[in-house]
Amino acid sequence: MNQYIQITRIFDAPRKLVYRAFTDPGQLAQWFGPVGCSVPRDSVEIDARVGGHLRFVMTGPDVRSTVDATFTEVVENQLLSAEMEAAGVPGVTGSLRVHLRLEFHDEGNGKTRLELRQGPFAAGQLGADTRSGWESSFTKLDALL
Amino acid sequence: MTDDRLSVIFGALADPTRRAILARLADGEATVTELTAPFPVSMPAISRHLKVLERAGLISRSRSGQHLSSTLRPAPLQEATEWMERYRRFWDASFDRLDAHLRRAAPERDGQ
Repeated sequence: MNQYIQITRIFDAPRKLVYRAFTDPGQLAQWFGPVGCSVPRDSVEIDARVGGHLRFVMTGPDVRSTVDATFTEVVENQLLSAEMEAAGVPGVTGSLRVHLRLEFHDEGNGKTRLELRQGPFAAGQLGADTRSGWESSFTKLDALL
Repeated sequence: MTDDRLSVIFGALADPTRRAILARLADGEATVTELTAPFPVSMPAISRHLKVLERAGLISRSRSGQHLSSTLRPAPLQEATEWMERYRRFWDASFDRLDAHLRRAAPERDGQ
């Protein structure tokens, strides 16, 4: 079984802008996390260089997670690759440590194809209480849609 | 689902031979002899893999005549997948917001 998630998503914006949404602290704070969660602007710190960090705090109804990622590969407007460590993730014992890779591809017509790969999700990181936190955020999100 | 239970499932899935056995069983039940044929390993080795899969609840075994047949039980696979699906939903929900954010930023793009 593949312990990575892979997501492909097309955005109606040039990749320079999509890339900036991930690397500009003010922008990341505006969209990261499901509805019901928020990222305080002053908690965000981004240094998009190899060895640089991406740090922020995400708060939700019953959640306060801190994310600290170290960039391992950076190609401006094309690629962000990082080792992530997240503490306070619902259902996870200790810290969640995963690799995150984001590829930004030019789709033409001012569109961008984002390819996300994250993992491995190993059982050893999983705690017993897996249904709290984000699930309640999603429930709130479902109610809004 | 408890941590221990998921660990047993992921542990069972961590081996390529066991994943191949599950893939074969997705086509229908099979005996140990039939399961051994495609692999360069002994029948006792396959039997040991089957025990691990059975303990994880991924297969059940039943005797039909002289033979012990193995059948795929997909439910634990779905449980293990659900955990990862939550991360997928997390990103999907975030990207819905990113989509809206980029639309709001559109005038800025036109101005460039």
